[in-house]
Amino acid sequence: MRAGCLSRFLVLTALAYCLAVAGCTNDPYPDSDRGEKVLYSAFSQPPKTLDPAVSYGAEEHVITGNVYDTLLEYHYLERPYRLIPGLAEAVPAAQPLPEGRQAYRFKLRPQVLFHTDPCFTLSQSGRQTREVTAPDFAFAMMRVADPALNSPAISSFAQILGFADFGKRLVELRRADAAFAALTPRAQYARAGGIAGIVAHGDHELEIILAEPNAQILYWFAMPFTTPVAWEAVAYYNGRDGRPHFGDHAVGTGPYRLALYEKQHRFTLERNAAWYGSLPPNVEAPGAVFPKEIDAQDSAAGRIDASYAGRQMPFVDRIKFYREREDIPLFNKFLQGYYDTGGIIKESFDAVVQSGRLSPEMQARGMRLDKEVEPTIFYVGFNMGDQVVGTAAGERSRKLRQAMSVAVDAKQYLELFFNGRGVLAQSPLPPGIFGYDASYKNPFRLHDVARARQLLAEAGYKNGIDPATETRLKLTFDTYATTASSSLPLEFLAAAWRQIGLDIEINSTTYNQFQDKVRRGAYQIFVWGWGADFPDPENFFFLLECRNARSKSGGPNTADFCHAEFDRLYHEMKYRPNDAQRADLIRRMVAILEQERPWIELFHREHYTLSHAWLVNSKPMGISHAAYKYKDVRPELRANLRAEWNAPVRWPLYLVLILVVAATVPAVRTYYRERL
Amino acid sequence: MHWVSNAIVVLLAAGAVWVARYAARDRFWRENAAQLWRRRRLAIVVVAVYVFIALLDSISWIDPASEANALTSGRPRTIIDRIFRPETFKEASYSAPLARVAFYGGQPLAHPGAHLLGTDLLGRDVVYRTLKGARVALLIGGLTSLVVIPIALLFGVSAGYWGRRIDDAVFFAMTVLASVPSLLLLIALIMVLGKGTVQVCVALGVTGWVHFCRIARGETLKLREADFVAAARALGVSDVGIIRRHILPNIAHLIIITFALSFTALVLSETILSYLGIGLEGSWGQMIDQARNELSRTPIIWWNLAGASIALFTLVLAVNVIADAMRDIIDPRTRREER
Amino acid sequence: MAAYLLRRVGYGFLTVLGVLFLLFVLFFAVTNPDDIARKAVGERARPEVYAQWKINHGYDKPLFLNRDFAGSDARRYTDTLLAEHYRRMLTFDFGRSDADDSSIAKRLWDGAGPSLTLTVPLFALGLVAGIALALFVAFFRETYIDRAVLVLCMLTMSVASLLYIIAGQYLIGMLLKWFPISGFDPNPAIAARFLALPVLVGVISGLGADVRFLRTVFIEEMSRDYVRTARAKGCGDARVMVRHVLRNALIPILTNVVVQIPFLFTGALLLESFFGIPGLGALTVEAIQGNDFSTLRTMVYLGALLFIIGQILTDISYALADPRVRLS
Repeated sequence: MRAGCLSRFLVLTALAYCLAVAGCTNDPYPDSDRGEKVLYSAFSQPPKTLDPAVSYGAEEHVITGNVYDTLLEYHYLERPYRLIPGLAEAVPAAQPLPEGRQAYRFKLRPQVLFHTDPCFTLSQSGRQTREVTAPDFAFAMMRVADPALNSPAISSFAQILGFADFGKRLVELRRADAAFAALTPRAQYARAGGIAGIVAHGDHELEIILAEPNAQILYWFAMPFTTPVAWEAVAYYNGRDGRPHFGDHAVGTGPYRLALYEKQHRFTLERNAAWYGSLPPNVEAPGAVFPKEIDAQDSAAGRIDASYAGRQMPFVDRIKFYREREDIPLFNKFLQGYYDTGGIIKESFDAVVQSGRLSPEMQARGMRLDKEVEPTIFYVGFNMGDQVVGTAAGERSRKLRQAMSVAVDAKQYLELFFNGRGVLAQSPLPPGIFGYDASYKNPFRLHDVARARQLLAEAGYKNGIDPATETRLKLTFDTYATTASSSLPLEFLAAAWRQIGLDIEINSTTYNQFQDKVRRGAYQIFVWGWGADFPDPENFFFLLECRNARSKSGGPNTADFCHAEFDRLYHEMKYRPNDAQRADLIRRMVAILEQERPWIELFHREHYTLSHAWLVNSKPMGISHAAYKYKDVRPELRANLRAEWNAPVRWPLYLVLILVVAATVPAVRTYYRERL
Repeated sequence: MHWVSNAIVVLLAAGAVWVARYAARDRFWRENAAQLWRRRRLAIVVVAVYVFIALLDSISWIDPASEANALTSGRPRTIIDRIFRPETFKEASYSAPLARVAFYGGQPLAHPGAHLLGTDLLGRDVVYRTLKGARVALLIGGLTSLVVIPIALLFGVSAGYWGRRIDDAVFFAMTVLASVPSLLLLIALIMVLGKGTVQVCVALGVTGWVHFCRIARGETLKLREADFVAAARALGVSDVGIIRRHILPNIAHLIIITFALSFTALVLSETILSYLGIGLEGSWGQMIDQARNELSRTPIIWWNLAGASIALFTLVLAVNVIADAMRDIIDPRTRREER
Repeated sequence: MAAYLLRRVGYGFLTVLGVLFLLFVLFFAVTNPDDIARKAVGERARPEVYAQWKINHGYDKPLFLNRDFAGSDARRYTDTLLAEHYRRMLTFDFGRSDADDSSIAKRLWDGAGPSLTLTVPLFALGLVAGIALALFVAFFRETYIDRAVLVLCMLTMSVASLLYIIAGQYLIGMLLKWFPISGFDPNPAIAARFLALPVLVGVISGLGADVRFLRTVFIEEMSRDYVRTARAKGCGDARVMVRHVLRNALIPILTNVVVQIPFLFTGALLLESFFGIPGLGALTVEAIQGNDFSTLRTMVYLGALLFIIGQILTDISYALADPRVRLS
């Protein structure tokens, strides 16, 4: 290599370097997206299945809620939540029938079409879609009743006449007759005679007959479990011949359809031009038109644009979802403007929120902060079947539980680990749920270390010393936190109990091993959280019903709480409408929980949503995610702000180049001098 | 179980004294040690300081229960615990180094201006946590190597010396283990053994012995053909005798160098384990993992990360530097004298 | 040569069998088919559902010995999970993932692309940068450049790779805004910007150790007689470095390098995980966290297979490159 060759090489490298510097950008989206009405969002857990009979989690509901329509929906703006008609023409009133039965009659809107899909070639010649009819709803609910699909909602419809019997009949017929088992699901359901309590009167009327009154069952008709399912889709998408399974290919009626689905990495929803709300005769349907009455509070806060009142939905053409496994990069990309909305991570909380309001920095960027108390409860639970902390030890363990309850400072816990985003819990019910009493203060949720020590002494463990062993009482705290950061909240709780003298051992295992311990009953103290499926107190108290106890049925009552009086009140309250007597029953149930302390209620989480200035009509709706049709974006505003916030800082690159050259030039010069 | 730790400290001290006396008697080791000291004084002092801190954190005893020390009695407390008194020398939450008020909220601290590197999320002093991490780091490097060296030597020397069947078996085992991606093997082992200091060290040892073993085997193969070994055999020295008197001392220098290098590799790999959630309790890797979140705060919280990474970096750098110098000194290719 | 190759391949096959056994034992010591079923189906299912799932996925058989059959019946040993495990892996019948029933072969195919787009540039750039820097430093050895670079290498080697990733993301992604913090898009127009940061971080974290090693190799080569001869002949110094030293130093370099090639496929686990690149490394991490035995088994098996192939390739390339080896 000659001197000329070397210097040419170096100059080229430097040039390439400068070009690279000039072209760098941190925009993760292709240029073709610019100026389009696209909404960008992120997800952290991939959806497991999109089958409406089975899918249950929030990460799936984001898709199923927008791709599948339901008979009823929640009003987007009203709080507390109210049901409005979706595919049904009206919210039905309960019709009493003889023998204590109840019936609901849904009248279906005409000319609602399924998404165009090749599966309809099974029943239509030449057309790739068809009208939705009442039997499609019946088919969907028969799938929920089918034990082979293992739907999580199967027990929620137990009151429907013949629901459970249908399931049993299917299982028996399948076991007895191999030919029956080989038939398609549709044929099997038809042969098994369908569900007695779900009757399709013609094409546009559906009647649901309940064996006993249940006012809450209407909520289930706002969930995808009851969306109409086309038998052609189930038959066509069976995983054969290179076609995906029905759980990976959604065929619904909704305002959006699933255009791209790589469930581990990204998916895209695209507007459905043939949605019922965009075409006559359903153009004025409540579910197709933006609410006409807009709350002054909502429009003053800037989250709802009043000019949208009464306008035709949906507004956005595409919604793109990208997988973000970690929340910090997610939040940072949100700050850079590459996601349109996001929660707030606790690491950046203090920069974003100050004294409960948006910081000036964020306000200057035009962002909005929306808060909503989620219908959730986080609590510490005791294993009531345990010898030391459970009911076996009687008054002694009750005082122990009360002492431990008083020792926990939930306010500081909330501050430290959730930035205070929550409402301190006094009972299992969160605000917004019927039966919640804002004035009720649980005496055992008032943090008082001295009182805790006194209660502990009353329990017979003065200063935490167990007189039987003459050492500190040893209790195990069973957790499944795997990372150092997720075990910090547990350390905090353990420290609170150690402070009153108890010897707490944190026993951390994998989630599987934890479930194993629970199944065997080998646990004492645990932490848990629960989010409601629908806004009703029954959906919280069932977690303390004896029938659901872990030791009895492996159910979700992990505290293994069995109290005869509580159960009696629960069964009375369960299906009552929201009246004064129901409130009284709830008050008495809460009083029992106050004394027995199977749970130490910590807090109800409050969700803070940050939205950018260009995202319009975004109101947090914790109970349902079927809200994308209400939202809109302003693409030019977004493009401008993004460019402003993401100008790359170029000078360090040039600096590095200069430094490298400066460092090596003396050596190179020496080399040339030596040669000559 | 704290008496185990105390006993190990005593054993280590005794072992160190014995090794020092053995080495002092031998001219080879004495001269090389002196040369190493001359060339890398600073690095050796640094490592010595780390060892001292780790020892301080290993000696612990329980105070008898009484009213005065209600908070602390019943649990073994190390010397570092007694100096820093973490039960009282803590704040509510984050505070900047040498600050007088809390980082969020501005409340006055319980110990204003006393936290040299601030406090973490639960208010624990960062200097205290960094010092405690020294013991964990040395455990990972030292305890694991204590597991690895004997096993690797046993298999490697046997395979190299006796050859054939034993060699085939050992070589096969080594290849099988080496073929499995070590990270996956490590995770699976820790899932089986459970999370705990000894378990993680054993798992690291099981995945790390192959490297040592291969070196030991290679060197033994070479030495087996040496003249002095043939002479010893002719004199009627037993196989075990030959291994003990001729082979082992001649591979000792290699073992030491490899030990130093693998020590740093182990300590660095613990950070990855902490990221995956299977690291050791109270290690620097855990502090760095937490710092991942803290760097995203505005204003950023850097002192947790700074404490752990500087401590880690200094230790690894010092050991690397010493290992480098050692290799220069006692590598037969660069040595002037023959043993 | 052919006999040697055959021997090596045969040995490699034995190793594969050993690896499969180790994998089986390890995994089933950690978890059992009930756990896998529970993780896949969910918690609230009834026992019959778990039993059915296990039958569907072939987990209903006993582990090592099927006592349903008599001692003389071969099925006592072949109708077990272990036998099934061997049969499927050796015929490359990977089946479906335990976690979500997707075809593993398809996931492998989908993930190989992103992994390669990360590891190949990483490998190539790392190699080129390492060799160039080492040549440069070896050429200017004993000068201030050499000492400065050595110190730098020592310093960079002592930093944990995790810190490089964290610092890289923070500095370059967030503060300087040169590249996206994480993510990936197969669209070739914009794929480069997602890869720039992980490649940069990967190269820098490995450069220190590489340069030191390569420098030693080059300096050793440079002390040989033929180099002195070439210089005496009048060849330019730089020419000597590249034409003679580099070529002859390739032999020890090859040993290190060829072994790494198969791992280009399995992806860089940490980098993919942090930077959100949907490759095979990320697939492996997911399988670990999701207790997905069938995917995990496939990944480890492929890793081992590729490693063994790499060893064989190294031996062959060694034999080809070094005439002395060929003759012996």
